[in-house]
Amino acid sequence: MKVLVPIKRVVDYNVKVRVKADNSGVDLANVKMAMNPFCEIAVEEAVRLKEKGVVTEIIAVTIGNKAAQEQLRTAMALGADRSILVETEEDAQPLAIAKALKALVDKESPDLVILGKQAIDGDNSQTGQMLAALAGMPQGTFASEVNVADGKVKVTREIDGGLQTVELSLPAVVTTDLRLNEPRYASLPNIMKAKKKPLEVISAADLGVSFASSTKTLKVEPPAERSAGIKVASVAELVEKLKNEAKVI
Amino acid sequence: MSDTAALFQPLLGNRCLTDAESCQRYGVDWTKVWAPAPSAVLLPETIEEVQAIVRLANQHRIALVPSGGRTGLSAGAVAADGEVVVAFDRMNKVLAFSEFDRAVTVQPGVVTQQLQEFAEEKNLFYPVDFASAGSSQIGGNIGTNAGGIKVIRYGMTRDWITGLKVVTGKGDLLELNKGLVKNATGYDFRHLFIGSEGTLGFVVEADIQLARQPQNLTVLVLGAPGFSEVMNVLHAFQNKLDLTAFEFFSDKAMAHVLAHGVPKPFETESQYYCLLEFEGVSEDVMNDAMALFEQCVENGWVEDGVMSQSIQQAEQLWQLRERISESISVYTPYKNDISVTVSKVPKFVEEVDAIVQNNYPDFEIVWFGHIGDGNMHLNILKPDALAKEEFFSQCNNVSKWVFEIVQKYNGSISAEHGVGRTKKPYLHYSRSADEIAYMQAVKAVFDPNNIMNPGKLIDMESHS
Repeated sequence: MKVLVPIKRVVDYNVKVRVKADNSGVDLANVKMAMNPFCEIAVEEAVRLKEKGVVTEIIAVTIGNKAAQEQLRTAMALGADRSILVETEEDAQPLAIAKALKALVDKESPDLVILGKQAIDGDNSQTGQMLAALAGMPQGTFASEVNVADGKVKVTREIDGGLQTVELSLPAVVTTDLRLNEPRYASLPNIMKAKKKPLEVISAADLGVSFASSTKTLKVEPPAERSAGIKVASVAELVEKLKNEAKVI
Repeated sequence: MSDTAALFQPLLGNRCLTDAESCQRYGVDWTKVWAPAPSAVLLPETIEEVQAIVRLANQHRIALVPSGGRTGLSAGAVAADGEVVVAFDRMNKVLAFSEFDRAVTVQPGVVTQQLQEFAEEKNLFYPVDFASAGSSQIGGNIGTNAGGIKVIRYGMTRDWITGLKVVTGKGDLLELNKGLVKNATGYDFRHLFIGSEGTLGFVVEADIQLARQPQNLTVLVLGAPGFSEVMNVLHAFQNKLDLTAFEFFSDKAMAHVLAHGVPKPFETESQYYCLLEFEGVSEDVMNDAMALFEQCVENGWVEDGVMSQSIQQAEQLWQLRERISESISVYTPYKNDISVTVSKVPKFVEEVDAIVQNNYPDFEIVWFGHIGDGNMHLNILKPDALAKEEFFSQCNNVSKWVFEIVQKYNGSISAEHGVGRTKKPYLHYSRSADEIAYMQAVKAVFDPNNIMNPGKLIDMESHS
């Protein structure tokens, strides 16, 4: 069984993001980039399925600039067998990404696509769902448990107020939630082996898609700064302020 | 209010605290061996107030104890004998910043982490970092010449102080070095005050140099089959890369920290582990690191290893080292903070292991530390069957043996925790009688009435 794992290079989760002085976007100069945390979970799940003997081949794929090869190497160090970079300098949006992934699904015919439920930069949470619709595959989103057996995948989903388990026929799309697994570290011997694994670079044109954006960012602003707190002398004063100033009681 | 407190009350008003809770809180550090019993706690806000306090204390021969974040591990800031605590909590402002000089002027009560965050906001870096940085204050860092986890690359607190304003034990205000980089005009009293544990005077202002921010800090955790292999790894990596940290810990330390819930780095079990950190600034550097790893594996020095792929992972890997203390604290460990020159570390560790194991075979020894700068933390865990008092009395024997070995290797009985009260009886293992006499003579110059943190670091009886 073949698994396709789309991943994304994003600003490291632990970086304190700053807005550029001209409000044109986020300052990315000298900022640490890393694999999107939900994508790490997707890679880990694919590797675990391979270790269980369910999966035979894992293909990592990303859409981004040349530097995104770094994250593909990480995915291969974690256990992906080969990878594909769809190289573009455009800031690709979810629909365009889903179309590119659809083209790759047609080309590679994976039995399962596992990807993060969202990327922490755009926070869109659209790509997996759009891909499922475009490719006509069933989808199990926000997975906290994945079981593959008898040509089907059972996905336990985290929904408001509880868990829902759905059964999908393969091929299918699964998007990963935070509690699905705890990703492993990339071991140094595997990082070295990953250097020798195949990494194919293709263009949007090769897939017959375009990443030209149909939306334009006009302005990026940081959230309003919180004003400093004050100390109150008594409970009565606190209640008075909550009532009359904050108007919350 | 006691007579002593009544003397200071007119000077500081409601910033002269005498309530039991404040005295309890301000009179003790993390050692918690001595019961706190200060006669008052003073919270000055200006240099003039600090001078007035010292002058008044001189008139009435009242002992003063400086107080910062009180995270010390040697009872340097403990007030157990009716002293007056001078706490710098209210002198906690960043006074000036120069982008061009990459320099900042701060009051002593600024919390270490606050300075780190201030530097980060300015796209700069204050590199002195350690577990208690969230509570410790700059004044205390200077008083103890605090070290920590980045010493191998950035040195100790001493290396970042370009100027100090101090109030001496006589109440004089001295401006030392005034932020200069180069200054060859005689005795540099700045360095005398750094690490003096408040025994000469109080730091009331500090000029601090900041560094550029490190780029892409990358962490490796490696497993090594033995101690000499750890040293070989250190040597190999240091020859090629500018390491920002090189820490080691034993399999026992690893077992405790894993049991504490920190995720395992890899499956292979090794006798020792090392954590290396460096700036992964270019592909060349990363390739060098990989080549070094390969070389270490080929030579049999390393059995397995992982590399962080994100800041999150780098921080998680650091937990393996940083949470050791916490994970063994339930065993009431006996702790020692010792150093020797790096090349002597393996022999030193071997000798200490042997002497403890031969005399107390039931004791579990947990080693970890900043081996890149020769600093090791020796921890001995209390066997369940042994009562606490009995354990610590047996550990006193251990201290003597350990310090004798320290002396033999020309090491230090306190690498970064200071001397305070807890290490004072052992100072002679690291400092000669002549040297201690000179220390006493120096103290007498700055503090003729012995009111500045008396009973810490050295005793003055033999001098008078």
